Amino acid sequence: MPERTMEAPHGGTGNDAPGAATPPVAVGPELARAFRDVLPADLVITDEVGRRSYECDGLTGFRQIPALVVLPRDADEVAACVRVCARHGVPFVARGAGTGLSGGAMPVADGVVISLQKLRRILEIDVENRRAVLEPGVYNLEISKAAAPYGLYYAPDPSSQQVCTIGGNVAENSGGAHCLKYGFTTNHVLEMEVVLADGSVVTLGGPTGEQAGPDLRGLFIGSEGTLGICTKVTVRLLQTPETVRTVLADFPSIEAAGDTVGDIVDAAIIPAAVEMMDSLSMEASEAATGAGLTVDAPAALIIELDGPADEVEAEFSHLTAICERHGATRMHVPAEAEERQKVWKGRKAAFAAVGRISPDYIVQDGVVPRTRLAEVLTRIAEMGRDAGLRVANVFHAGDGNLHPLVLYSEAAGEHDAAEKLSTDIAELCVELGGSLSGEHGIGTDKACSMPRMFSSDDLAVMHRVRHAFDPDDRCNPGKVFPTPRLCGERPGPYRPHPLEEAGVIERL
Amino acid sequence: MTDTITPRSLDELRDAVIDRPGTIRIAGAGTAHDWAGTPEPADTVLDTTGLSGIVTHNPGDMTVEVWAGTPFGALQTDLGEHHQRVAVDPARAAEGATLGGLFATADAGPRSLQYGSLRDLVIGATIVLADGTVARSGGHVIKNVAGYDLTKLLHGAQGTLGVLARLVLRLHPTPQVTATVAASCERSAMAGLARRVADSPVEPTAVEWHAGRLLSLLEGSESGAEARARRLAEILGSDAAVLAPDDATQAWEAHAAAVRARSDDRAVFRFGVTPSELPRVLDALESATGVTASPRTGVATVALPADADVVATAHRRVAEAGGTSTLRQRPAGAALPAFGPAPASATVLRAVAASLDPDQRFGRGRLAPWLPLPDQTGQPTGVSA
Repeated sequence: MPERTMEAPHGGTGNDAPGAATPPVAVGPELARAFRDVLPADLVITDEVGRRSYECDGLTGFRQIPALVVLPRDADEVAACVRVCARHGVPFVARGAGTGLSGGAMPVADGVVISLQKLRRILEIDVENRRAVLEPGVYNLEISKAAAPYGLYYAPDPSSQQVCTIGGNVAENSGGAHCLKYGFTTNHVLEMEVVLADGSVVTLGGPTGEQAGPDLRGLFIGSEGTLGICTKVTVRLLQTPETVRTVLADFPSIEAAGDTVGDIVDAAIIPAAVEMMDSLSMEASEAATGAGLTVDAPAALIIELDGPADEVEAEFSHLTAICERHGATRMHVPAEAEERQKVWKGRKAAFAAVGRISPDYIVQDGVVPRTRLAEVLTRIAEMGRDAGLRVANVFHAGDGNLHPLVLYSEAAGEHDAAEKLSTDIAELCVELGGSLSGEHGIGTDKACSMPRMFSSDDLAVMHRVRHAFDPDDRCNPGKVFPTPRLCGERPGPYRPHPLEEAGVIERL
Repeated sequence: MTDTITPRSLDELRDAVIDRPGTIRIAGAGTAHDWAGTPEPADTVLDTTGLSGIVTHNPGDMTVEVWAGTPFGALQTDLGEHHQRVAVDPARAAEGATLGGLFATADAGPRSLQYGSLRDLVIGATIVLADGTVARSGGHVIKNVAGYDLTKLLHGAQGTLGVLARLVLRLHPTPQVTATVAASCERSAMAGLARRVADSPVEPTAVEWHAGRLLSLLEGSESGAEARARRLAEILGSDAAVLAPDDATQAWEAHAAAVRARSDDRAVFRFGVTPSELPRVLDALESATGVTASPRTGVATVALPADADVVATAHRRVAEAGGTSTLRQRPAGAALPAFGPAPASATVLRAVAASLDPDQRFGRGRLAPWLPLPDQTGQPTGVSA
């Protein structure tokens, strides 16, 4: 499998930002010494084998070995490390679990990776105030596990939640299957402690939604590590809903399934989740999981309602009536939690399972207005036919977030065609009034498509704000914004992340 | 001499910003003209009420794009025809406040317990900067992580940093039924009672204490909301009852009236602390009257004597409890501190302001002293991050 090593921009040299470019810096032994002044020697990784294990995130086609990796143990040490970088004019990339799917944590050549994996303490589960105070390296699912004894949970649930960290969620503004009703990371983070590019520490947000002055918290969330490093997060916890009801419904066509979603919305029902799968993705998933999907159905919806029993029961009968009206050919209502988990497994395993029907694949993450789902799916099918490639579809139908899986064979030389089709699909979403990314982020992967969605003025204003936080482009340079150097390159093929191969995470 | 200009299109708005030299005070309906920092006299008042109406509304997508000068009440009425709403309920909407004004002042009402504030519902914006740059961020889809969420910067910016031209919002269905449970309750008992509401499974949209009662709002389907209201009344016991529709309307109207009250000798102070700190902070504000408090979010609105020392002490008390506070309506001409002690993040605020509006053309004084006035030489001060 060919490996392409990116020549990543460092300092300001690779960015098309106006203003001075900082000269390239040589990372030498004196930098390692400076880090050893603030950290124990074994937490400063200089050997190539050690550094290589940080060369990519979940988007494995982009790789770059960093000059150094440091493993601070608390917020003070993170700030000390950032100050060392500032003093030496060296760029840095903050890294959580490295499960991101857009190359947002890809290292910078001549730069430092600041790993937050040692900041893993849950500092507080505050039951009375329904909030949790966390270090950035805490795994998403650990929050809900720690809150569960009190009947509470943390709502955003990206499918990698077993292994992705809250700090990474903040950087990416992560969503999940249930964000249609419950929103994204930004709707659940109240307050954050942040280390800025110069090593100073500030608090953004407050203990309530009440704001004095602009929402700097909201700006920081989703900025993909380009504005600073979050070292402490306060999130809201929600009460576990009294009732959860789920239905798996098969439909005679994608259109019928899409119309069903429309009617649910029109009926003033906000499901906790509405997921759609097409026959190709169901074929793959059923082979892998035996979750009970009907492989010859053209489309299926998994719809989940949650809330107070009085509310959910009334809505659920309304919901199943809507499914019947649109010709649902089968409706499976799991009776127990265990059975419900099985249905969800069928959905969540779809990405990895596609490996059973194709040697290689690319995952896309575009968003369209929900009412244009049928149109975009038809266009994607046509584009796939024209490119001579199959595209499987698994997606969050409720909010129009598509995850088309472009299937191809690297061995058959289909990589470039697949890459082009994938990019074309993301850009089609923008053309239809949507977005390049619903939850995976722009990172390195989609930076070159940003001009399709935003004007040069829009991007320049974002750049101005970035420079207010980080005048020298030291925080995660080369991400989010298109750069000439980056956009001349193309990523290598998708390769499963080691954790994915081990069955620890899925891609949703 | 201050000149007022009322642009009626994006082009006119941009031209107004480019063509007018000097400082600009952005004004909507004027319902919060005396909130936050006292504005410096400006060369031009930019009246946004000419930028009014819905740009696009796709009911099936549950999103709407709206001109920032649109009166919020009118917007809700239009959306109501499609059984949809923007799920915020700030008290001053009834006075004709514009969407942009509510956004710029980070205003919110009781339903913020369930839905958050406008920062949680906005998904995109078009803004005009002091140099005439027109910039968009976000988009028309609810789920979108492409680029910085610049829109958030104008939420609570109080008319500094840039002018909002258009906002894109996510919508929610209008509930079929709204029911209110009222429980008699001294202020000292509100936290415990509210905790019982929160621990019940009824999922209230709002829980507010006002005038000796804890009000819980239940919204949902015809059968569901009423059943939940009855269930909650049962859980809370003999002092609680489901209010008749007219009584419920009156109770919430009295709550809103207290929040937007104006008086000749009192100023309205709004703050947020962790819910467990709320009773202590309220108790410490001894001269507070007209209290409305949300014991589950930790946000409260009170009236204080229009005295600089009293207000400064209140700000300090909130800051000591780790919270945030802003002064709202006040008697004309009263010189009162708008904010508490500047947080460390004020350095970021100053740096962002210096990058977007280096000459502080917009809303000068509104965020003072956190964003200090430019010094005598015309240069903004304290811009280093």
